[in-house]
Amino acid sequence: MGSDQILQFSIVSTIVVGAAIVFGTLTVAIMEGRVIMKAFDNMARQPSVADRIRGLLFVVIALLESTAIYVLLICLILLFANPFANVFGL
Amino acid sequence: MGISGVFPQSVFTILGFTITNTVVHTWVIVAVLVGLGIWANKRFKVWEPESWQLLIEYLIEYVDNLVKDQCGRSVPEIVPYLTVMITFIAISNLAGLFPLMQAPTRDINTTVALSLVSLLSTQYFGIRRRGVGGWLHSYIEPNPVMLPMNLLGMFSRVLSMALRLFGNVISGEVISAVFFMLVPLLSPIPMNLLGMLTSVLQALVFTVLTLVFILDAMGPEPADDQPVAAT
Repeated sequence: MGSDQILQFSIVSTIVVGAAIVFGTLTVAIMEGRVIMKAFDNMARQPSVADRIRGLLFVVIALLESTAIYVLLICLILLFANPFANVFGL
Repeated sequence: MGISGVFPQSVFTILGFTITNTVVHTWVIVAVLVGLGIWANKRFKVWEPESWQLLIEYLIEYVDNLVKDQCGRSVPEIVPYLTVMITFIAISNLAGLFPLMQAPTRDINTTVALSLVSLLSTQYFGIRRRGVGGWLHSYIEPNPVMLPMNLLGMFSRVLSMALRLFGNVISGEVISAVFFMLVPLLSPIPMNLLGMLTSVLQALVFTVLTLVFILDAMGPEPADDQPVAAT
């Protein structure tokens, strides 16, 4: 395993991690924004159910966020605890 | 040790089992919670309660309101279990704020264990409410064709709850470690503030999901077929 292959492994790994984070968090951010927008609109329309909406809003946001967290988890594992690193002696 | 210090390290081995520092931290948290519980149990008062008793009662009432929001009525048999779950997960996630302690939920083993306990609890409450026959019947509930989907659903719930909790905690720790490496002065303050928010929120989400699955396994009450009166 030469240093050329180590370099290629590092470069490809970094590029993949960068692309994964971008695509993984893009849709999540857009959809969370839409959920929050609708929630605020309806809380202003009907103040009597505003407390119930607020209670569910946090839970739904955490559920949506968990998808982005899955992507972040894979990226962190690839960067810091890469299972293929010991093939190259890294 | 660098950034890999946030991942669990082995402390010692007993009989071939590796004891990581996650297990030691969990023992400390369990000892503290059980000790507080025993201490508080002797000092409960019906009249003129002290402020910490009101805090505990507020927590139990909060969990009871969570149950009522989901199914319209109070289910007292699951409230103690859910209260312990939310307290343990919240304290575990916040344990990183105390000196010499780290969050045991930053280990995938802890979160998978919690999710498996959740899964077993849904089966337990389902059997307790509906009997073994009713519980087995619930797997072919809409249609016998749904049997593999129901089994796969159970497996995917465990996986998603474990990964959600683990991912939130470990990503907070790794990002804190990276920030600390870059900016050692005062950088733990905003990271810990964000960590406190996500800790309690993830405990709440875990508990709400467990609650929904338990209520789903317990099945509909006969009174649920009646229309609910407007509140």
